[in-house]
Amino acid sequence: MTALLNAARTGFAEIWAHKTRSALSFLAIAVGSVVFIDSFSAIVHTYSLLEKQKQVSGMARMRISQNNSQRFASPDDVGPPPVFTYEDVTALKARLPGMYMISPEGRDWMNVFEYGEHRVMTGIHGVTPDWAKRDFVYTLKGRFLDWHDVENKLRVCVLVRKAPPPPSNAYNKTMMKKYNYSGGYDTLVAHNDLLGKKVTIDGYTFTVIGVLEELPYSKRPANITGYQQDYKILAPVTTLIHYNFIGSYQSLDVNIDTGSEETFAEVERKVANFLKIQFGDAELFLIENQLEAIRERIATSFKSALVTISLGMLAFLAGGIGIMNVTLATVFARTKEIGIRRAIGASRSDIMLQFIVEAVMLGLLGGVLGSALGYLWGVPVKVMLGMGGSPIEPWMPLVAVLIAAFTAFAFAIYPAWVAAGLKPADALRAE
Amino acid sequence: MSIACEDLTKVYEGGKAGWPALRGLTFSIAPGEFAAVTGPSGCGKSTLLNIIGLLDEPSGGRYALHGRDVTTMSDLERSTVRRDAIGFVFQSFHLLNRMSALENVCLPMLYAGADRPAARERAAALLKKVGLHGKEKKTPLELSGGERQRVAIARALSNSPKLILADEPTGNLDSVSSREIMDSLFALNAEGITVVMVTHDKELAARAGRNIRMRDGRIEP
Repeated sequence: MTALLNAARTGFAEIWAHKTRSALSFLAIAVGSVVFIDSFSAIVHTYSLLEKQKQVSGMARMRISQNNSQRFASPDDVGPPPVFTYEDVTALKARLPGMYMISPEGRDWMNVFEYGEHRVMTGIHGVTPDWAKRDFVYTLKGRFLDWHDVENKLRVCVLVRKAPPPPSNAYNKTMMKKYNYSGGYDTLVAHNDLLGKKVTIDGYTFTVIGVLEELPYSKRPANITGYQQDYKILAPVTTLIHYNFIGSYQSLDVNIDTGSEETFAEVERKVANFLKIQFGDAELFLIENQLEAIRERIATSFKSALVTISLGMLAFLAGGIGIMNVTLATVFARTKEIGIRRAIGASRSDIMLQFIVEAVMLGLLGGVLGSALGYLWGVPVKVMLGMGGSPIEPWMPLVAVLIAAFTAFAFAIYPAWVAAGLKPADALRAE
Repeated sequence: MSIACEDLTKVYEGGKAGWPALRGLTFSIAPGEFAAVTGPSGCGKSTLLNIIGLLDEPSGGRYALHGRDVTTMSDLERSTVRRDAIGFVFQSFHLLNRMSALENVCLPMLYAGADRPAARERAAALLKKVGLHGKEKKTPLELSGGERQRVAIARALSNSPKLILADEPTGNLDSVSSREIMDSLFALNAEGITVVMVTHDKELAARAGRNIRMRDGRIEP
């Protein structure tokens, strides 16, 4: 312990005596720390985002939709294909008890929405209360649709208030303008409190029972299933069928969350059976296996995380080689000192300890400096540069400092061994 | 501390057969003796001193320090003997310039595992003994040659050695400082410490109780 303390004192004196050289070598390690912290925070960020996405979207997801290729494959078959009706949904539910979510969805386009003097274009989605179980990236004012609304085909609706779009380039803005036929509706909902009000959609009066406010883009996990819909108005699917918003020729899509990845394959088989029984062997409906896509997406993001972390490690390696270089140079510059110390009784291990402690101190200094710079880089600088800040957990700098110290230690072993191996008489003769 | 060498040889590497620095020395030095080793440059004096001080290893022959065969010692044992039993005084002082005089004197004690306050206390006492009271905090570069050599003597004494090896201790000093340093060495010898000193100076050698004259790696009869 005393030896370690003495070595640390000497080490500090040496580092101080060679400020420039020391600064250069610990800068190398510091850069390593910065890259490491940056890459680690990026990984943690990705991971936490994925976790959030998993929570919001669920993993064991599948979706039943019409098979368009079957519908139009043969000229003789062109005609109204069979549709997935609400009755089919009910039958499916009966066949698959215990599912976390079975959410049918049908839509209508180009609806006329009237409120007071306002008359705007919009679209409307027919859903059930299950819709809110997944990908719910909203805050709700009022209430959401319930089973009472669905069973009684009530004319109630929930309006979606859009979040301001993320910063985007002029082209994207133009395109958004070009296709946003319901921009007037978005503005109307954004600037008026319609909760509890009566509105008219295609001539039918609906009561607004709730308003869903989209979370701002910065706080919203991306949709993990990759399935995006531009929801404007939600109403009971039964109501929309009853009032012919969703025509008898229109098929419902069904989003399913089995609730567990283990039962996923079994549920998928059961759904396939159900489709065969209900619609025959023609494969008129498809089951989109979203679980696999989600898994692939997660694997990809972890792969890129590994690439990032290996960059961080490479940076440390470069820093370590810098430390080795400096330590070796120090050994040669201080050969005479080594001789003197050996002459007055320092053992080989004393000499080794001295150089290793010195290098580890450089590593620690570099790690601390790098952590500070890493924090600056990760939060304010990246934000200022518009790269999006990466969250830095308290343990990241700690780990970075430890790795920096360990790298310095590992790379100082060889120079220290060289120093310890010098013969005292030879070392004393050095100039 | 007794020194006994028998047919001691040292060959430096280089060339085909190497370069022989010592060609078979046989001599002994009794405990408490003051031995001067003299001879022209390149005759092997310093090599001999390095071997006696365990800084170098002989190529052949036998060397027993205080009755113990040195050639069988491990590096750690040799370091320990250097630290605890031998004090070195070099011509060019060999002090660590970045440290104060006090820290230089402390160093061997710290290697011996002494705790810092005790080491500093003893170092201050030793510096006082060699007449450097008040200059403890000065670095070697702020001291005169004579003062530096006195720091070196204080350092050599720090672990109470039984043998002091001095390699031309006055070689870089003026006559006044030389005399002071020699007086110190004789005083230490009077306390019972064996002193082996390499010197060019015949007058100094004459003051020593024993004179080992060397020429071409051999002892002159």
